[in-house]
Amino acid sequence: MNPDYNVEFFRKFMLVMNALDNRAARNHVNRMCLAADIPLIESGTAGYLGQVTVIKKGMTECYECQPKPTQKTFPGCTIRNTPSEPIHCIVWAKYLFNQLFGEEDADQEVSPDTADPEAAWNPEETAARATASEKDGDIKRVSTKEWARSTGYDPVKLFNKLFKDDIMYLLTMDKLWKKRKAPAPLDWQQLENSVCSQQETPAAGLKDQKVLGVWGYCQMFQQSVETLRSQLQEKGEGAELVWDKDDPPAMDFVTAAANLRMHIFSMNMKSRFDVKSMAGNIIPAIATTNAVIAGLIVLEGLKILSGELESCRTIFLNKCPNLRKKLLVPCVLDPPSSNCYVCASKPEVTVKLNVHKTTVLCLQDRILKERFGMVAPDVQIEDGKGTILISSEEGETEANNSKFLSDFGIRNGSRLQSDDFLQDYTLLINVLHTEELERDVEFEVVGEAPDKAPPPQSNQEEVNSITNGNKDSAQPSTSSKAAADDDDIMIVDSEEEEVASSSSAAATAGSKRKHPDSETGETSTKRPRTDQSGAAADNDDDDIIALD
Amino acid sequence: MIEKEDPIISEEEAAQYDRQIRLWGLDAQKRLRGSRVLLAGLGGLGAEVAKNLILAGVKGLTLLDHEQVSEDSCRAQFLVPVSAQGQNRARASLERAQNLNPMVEVHADPDRVEDKPDDFFLQFDATARFCSLKEALEVDWTSEKAKAALKRTPLDYFLLHVLLKFRTDKGRDPDPKSFTEDGQLLRQIRDDVLEALALSSDLLNDDFISYCFSEVSPVCAVVGGVLGQEVVKALSQRDAPHRNFFFFNGRKGSGVVDYFGPN
Repeated sequence: MNPDYNVEFFRKFMLVMNALDNRAARNHVNRMCLAADIPLIESGTAGYLGQVTVIKKGMTECYECQPKPTQKTFPGCTIRNTPSEPIHCIVWAKYLFNQLFGEEDADQEVSPDTADPEAAWNPEETAARATASEKDGDIKRVSTKEWARSTGYDPVKLFNKLFKDDIMYLLTMDKLWKKRKAPAPLDWQQLENSVCSQQETPAAGLKDQKVLGVWGYCQMFQQSVETLRSQLQEKGEGAELVWDKDDPPAMDFVTAAANLRMHIFSMNMKSRFDVKSMAGNIIPAIATTNAVIAGLIVLEGLKILSGELESCRTIFLNKCPNLRKKLLVPCVLDPPSSNCYVCASKPEVTVKLNVHKTTVLCLQDRILKERFGMVAPDVQIEDGKGTILISSEEGETEANNSKFLSDFGIRNGSRLQSDDFLQDYTLLINVLHTEELERDVEFEVVGEAPDKAPPPQSNQEEVNSITNGNKDSAQPSTSSKAAADDDDIMIVDSEEEEVASSSSAAATAGSKRKHPDSETGETSTKRPRTDQSGAAADNDDDDIIALD
Repeated sequence: MIEKEDPIISEEEAAQYDRQIRLWGLDAQKRLRGSRVLLAGLGGLGAEVAKNLILAGVKGLTLLDHEQVSEDSCRAQFLVPVSAQGQNRARASLERAQNLNPMVEVHADPDRVEDKPDDFFLQFDATARFCSLKEALEVDWTSEKAKAALKRTPLDYFLLHVLLKFRTDKGRDPDPKSFTEDGQLLRQIRDDVLEALALSSDLLNDDFISYCFSEVSPVCAVVGGVLGQEVVKALSQRDAPHRNFFFFNGRKGSGVVDYFGPN
């Protein structure tokens, strides 16, 4: 968010039209347009569905008035110990990529999680395991990258550690497998030996859409590791690669690693095409939907430029006509939400966290930036002294980063004033101290439901159906079906954005960290006032009133 | 006819059409890849449909239009360069259309559709059957059932009648240059049409006139998008077509699908 594009810059325009693909940018432009008090046309498309809406300070809801479901994340133990869905394996593979070739992240561990509460027969055992793993003097304390480097990124050694040794370790945690099918470790040598008896049928068709055999993915793993290793070497000392779905070896690596893990955990393997959809959070797109929405954007724009803001609407594009025969459904714009933490006159919010365990850095990055969309926050404690906790000026408060909030006297009931000067935005945060947060949850915004994992079965079908192109959604763009697909996908690197989701699942708990480039764009969660039942909730005077 | 041999989607095509294959699947894309389409009329709406079909990746698209590029047609028709005035509209649209997707065979044909022999049409793929436009317009509005249905009938349906009659009588669409004269004629036609259908002329008040002149590019985009998708559905044999009229009201933003024709 370039500071050159400040409120003054935005004020040069009568109208702003967004064509963005991620939420962070939309949040930012939303605030800039509120600060500059100019109308904003927001929009989005996904497959056959799309919508357009108009945002005007004081007159309509802003983009952040309705809570938007945050990206779906999975608990660490599911990823590390007990995956049950292909998506868990894909997320694991992306973590592995980062651990080996990219920026190492403490929240992206791939090795077996010995502190998994499910593994222990009693709570005392969990605690014992946790301490043991911390004190462990062996391999587990060496970072994955260091270990890989020490082997020269030898693909076979990597393979045997990840897909054999670590799996065998998991098997020793027998409680995990009492009610689950146990994973079956792979052995490189055995697999290589059994290859000769298999024929290589070069079947016709697109490469990406084929599902290979296990040995095929072993080879893909080997080749991609070797290529990525060279890429790293070329970049020199301390280099890090960034995962990109369009970089073939990076995509191959994730495809191979994820599939090997799927096979180990008795899941059917997936084609590169399907893995790419899930790993890259690809939103299918077609020219016609974009043409319709683009046309609607311009039409709303014409209304605004003609000074007819009252005639502006939110318009939803359905795949099929609704009960009132509408394919395009206009809805009257909602007024601003009085307790919106962005556009209310003095926005305030309450955040539940543990003041002894939350660092200043966590407050800045996870809470203020990720959750509340600030770009360069300045934070003061309302302690009568105006103690500065975070300064947006580089280096000024860096020393505070690793300290805990309690170190500054912050406790239950404390108030923090955060400002983002670029966005002309001030947010007052009420701190609610708690010692009881769910595992892997760092904070919770009070007043919104915590992030809940929907039942695995339905997710899988919906994710599959996008990639198979079988999805026939007759739902309007606010359908929770449309949202669920993208929510299910753990966004580590995004691609495009998604369209409105129903505001029912307002998941805002700050759970385990997502990458800063984890994006999902959405348009408004406003539900159409015209409901499916066709009741007289339709507040548009569109149909003819018959003569009598 | 859709070609008997299953068209092969090359790796290059799969990469280009990736985002749409992920929506409607490889089989649908193959059917598109084997289809030849005839598009008659390259006004603003035709240009939008052309663009949508070319991007979708049909095998071939023939642009058929006998008209010449006029000053007005440049406004809502983005395939025609401003410098092409006086040229045949189909020919003038060819270059930009082809540039959208070199994998599609785009042709321009300056003839009148009425002058084409029957077998000309055989080279193109059939679309789904609809009842004829004539039947759809010959609805009896005097019956009780029809009167009840009137409440939920989009006004635009009657507007359509008026515009078609204007076109038949004058051989052209309403022209902004003769706004007053054409406006009067439109009002007269409205009265006649509604009277013939045994309906009150209040149904369509005088405001409608302002909506009858010229194409507006965003409206072309919306309708062209819906129409384009109907063609894609027919060619790919996926998803039911809308039955059977689509009306878009650009001022209200409402798009309605309604059925007119024999029961």
